[in-house]
Amino acid sequence: MNLLAFIQRAETYLGERLPVRKLNYDALVRKKEVPVHRLSWGYYLGGLALFFFAVQVVTGLMLLFYYQPTVSDAHASVEFITEHVPGGALVRNMHAWASSMMIAAVMVHLLTTFAMKAFARPRELTWVSGVLLLFITLGLGFTGYLLPWHQIAVNATKIGLQSIEEVGAYLPGALAEWPRLVKETIQGEASVGQATLSRFFALHVVLLPLAMVAVLALHLFSVQLHGMSQGVDEPPRRKEKFFPAFFIKDLSVWGVAFMVLFVVALCVPFESFYAYPLFEPYDPKSSTPDGIKPEWYFYFIYYPLEILPFWVVLLLSLAAGVGLCCTPWIFRHTSRRTLRLLAVLGALYLVIMTLFGEHIYRLFKG
Amino acid sequence: MLRWLALAAALLPASLGAYPEYHAFVVKNSGRPINCALCHRHADGPDGAAPGQLGRLTSEAQERLGRARSAFEPGVKVDSPILNAFGNHMVQVLGRKQLMELKMAPEQLAERLPADSDLDGDGIPDVRELRDGTHPLNRNDGHPWLLFRHNLMRNLTQIALTLAATAAGLWGLSHWLRGFAAATQIKDEEEESESA
Repeated sequence: MNLLAFIQRAETYLGERLPVRKLNYDALVRKKEVPVHRLSWGYYLGGLALFFFAVQVVTGLMLLFYYQPTVSDAHASVEFITEHVPGGALVRNMHAWASSMMIAAVMVHLLTTFAMKAFARPRELTWVSGVLLLFITLGLGFTGYLLPWHQIAVNATKIGLQSIEEVGAYLPGALAEWPRLVKETIQGEASVGQATLSRFFALHVVLLPLAMVAVLALHLFSVQLHGMSQGVDEPPRRKEKFFPAFFIKDLSVWGVAFMVLFVVALCVPFESFYAYPLFEPYDPKSSTPDGIKPEWYFYFIYYPLEILPFWVVLLLSLAAGVGLCCTPWIFRHTSRRTLRLLAVLGALYLVIMTLFGEHIYRLFKG
Repeated sequence: MLRWLALAAALLPASLGAYPEYHAFVVKNSGRPINCALCHRHADGPDGAAPGQLGRLTSEAQERLGRARSAFEPGVKVDSPILNAFGNHMVQVLGRKQLMELKMAPEQLAERLPADSDLDGDGIPDVRELRDGTHPLNRNDGHPWLLFRHNLMRNLTQIALTLAATAAGLWGLSHWLRGFAAATQIKDEEEESESA
C-alpha cells in the first residue's frame, strides 16, 4: 500500500469516527434525540461518573489548601483537616466516598456499554477512550491511597509496587528488567518514602487529572458527535429530545447522587470500615499491622493474587486488559444477547470478589 | 509514703500494667485487629522509651503512674501517663484489683463498665466499642451502621436544608431550561411560518 492510499484510508477511518460535520448547534442540541427502551437507565451512568469526577476535582482542590505532601507532615495534615478545619471532615469524606462512587459508576458504565454493544462501529474510539479513562481512574485511586501516609496506605502501596516488580520474573531477556525499572521510577528511592510520596502526589494532583481531562474531552466529544447508541436489537419505540428532556433528567440524577453522597459523607466516616490501627501514622520501625489490603475496587485482582499463582493472575489480567482495549474488534459480530450474558458474568465476578473475596480466600488458605 | 508507693509501683515490671488477655479477647470477639492504643497512649503499649511509654516518664509522670497503679479500689480519680482516657476511665470505674481479676474472664469486662459512657461522643457506648474492637476515643471509628444512625439524627437539620436547597435548585434550573427550550421552539416555528 502506498503512502497516499494509507493517508486516504486513515482519513476515511477518522472521518467516520469523528464526524466533525455534525459539530453544530442543531445536531448537538436542537435535533439530538435519545432512544427510550428498557436499558435506557444505562445512558445516565457516564454522566454520573462525570459528576463524581467533578466532585473529586472540587473537593480535591479544597483539600490542597491544607494537605502537606511530606512524610513528616502528611498524616498530621490529614488529621488536622479532619479534626480542626471547619467542614474538613465532610470535604475529606466526600472526596473519599466520591472516589469509590466514581469507580463504581465507571465499572457499571463499562458493563452496560458492553451489554448494549455501544462500542460497535463507528464508536470504537469512544470505547477505547472509555477504557483509558477506567485505567486513569484506577490510577487516581491507587495514587490517592498513599497520600494520607498511614499504615494501610504505605503498606498497601508497598505490596502494589512489589507486584509490579514480580512481573519481571516472567519476562524474557532484557525485558525482565523493565518492571523493576518501572517500579523504581514510580517509587523514586530504595523503599517507599518521601520521593514516592512526592511522585504519587504529582501523579494524583497534576498528571493523572490532566490526562483524565484530555481523554475525557475526546470521549465526550465522540459521544456528542455520535449521540447515544441504539442499545437494543429492536428499534426503540420512542425517542426523547436530548434537550431539555434528557438533560433535565440527567441533572436530576446528579441531584440525587449529590444528596446520597452528602448524607453518606456526613454520616459514615470512610475509615470506619477498617480497623483503627491501620490509620495510625506510618512508622517504618513499627511492625506491620494485620488487615493490610488495597481499596475495595482492587479486590477483584487482589484476592486472586492471594489465592492463585502469580503467573496465572498475570496472564488473566493481560488477557482481560487486551480484551478490554480490543473489544470493538473482538466482539464485532457477537450478538447483544451474548454480550449481555458476558456482562452479567463480569458483574457477578466483580460483586462476588468484592463482597466475598475474603471468605473465598479463607476457604482456600484456611 | 505515697511518694515511695508511687516509685515502687512505677518500677514494677511493665507486664503488670498491660493486659494482653483483654487484647486477645477483643480481637477474637470482634474479628478486628487492634493494638495497645485502645487503652494505652502508645500503640506498642507501655514498654519502650517513646512518648507515652515508661522509658520517657518524668518524675511527675512517674508519681501519677504510681498513684494510678495503687488505685486498687473503684472510684479513685486517676491520670496514668501511660494510659489514654479510656484506660484511665476503666481503672477509675473498676479499680486495678477488679481489672486484674477480670483478666481470667475478659468477656465480663464490658459488662462491668457503665453502659452509658461514650467518651468520644460518637453515639456508640464505650462498652459496645470495646466489644466491636473499635476505638472508644475516636469518633470516626465505630460500627458503620451505628455511626450512620447517630450522625443522621445529629445532622438532620443540615440534611433537610441541603435537600431543600438541592431540590429548589434543580426545580429552578429545570424550569429555566424548559423555558429556554420553549422560547427557541417558538422562534423556530415563527421562522418556519415566515419562510412558508
